[in-house]
Amino acid sequence: MADKDMIICRCEEVTYGELVETAEEYGCNARELKLRTRAGMGYCGGRTCRNMVDAVACTVTERDSTQVTLKYQPPVRPVHFGDLGAIGHD
Amino acid sequence: MTERILDHPVLGKLDASPKVSFLFNGKEYEGIENEPIAAALLANGVRTLRRHEESGSPRGIYCNIGHCFECRVTVDGVQGMRACLTPVKDGMVVTGGGQLDAPVRDWRKNNG
Repeated sequence: MADKDMIICRCEEVTYGELVETAEEYGCNARELKLRTRAGMGYCGGRTCRNMVDAVACTVTERDSTQVTLKYQPPVRPVHFGDLGAIGHD
Repeated sequence: MTERILDHPVLGKLDASPKVSFLFNGKEYEGIENEPIAAALLANGVRTLRRHEESGSPRGIYCNIGHCFECRVTVDGVQGMRACLTPVKDGMVVTGGGQLDAPVRDWRKNNG
């Protein structure tokens, strides 16, 4: 399997090739790369691929330390509303 | 036949733990009680736990520590259970998710 076909974000099925192409075409920072490709916006909340998306973005842009980069969104793990409200569960 | 490690050089022999039977996608499988669902299925040679909602490509164990939610399945009607962490019990009904309809995308393909 070629590097470009390697899936980085498995939740949204975004490949390394797509990320690199998008990053190069638009010169995006991590947040823009995420919004353009949907990498890191899936079920797991970007906890698996966040650092890799960030790393791809850093190959085309200078890291801006005044900006918050990709972050964990609360709740840290996907939680059922039923678990929060204890409705429909024992 | 079985994919299990029955005699491990460090952990020793697999003791005679109680066996359970459970359903996965309508088919009956045997597992060892309280082992993770993913481990029980892997021992039975089942590696595809669900399919990607949009593309339908197969998904199975990825991180195996409950972090990535790649192995999420429906267990006794509860969605989004992680097969790698959920202990298998007798009579459990497990279903892996499949590809979902994308009517808007399909419509746009023809009319967009």
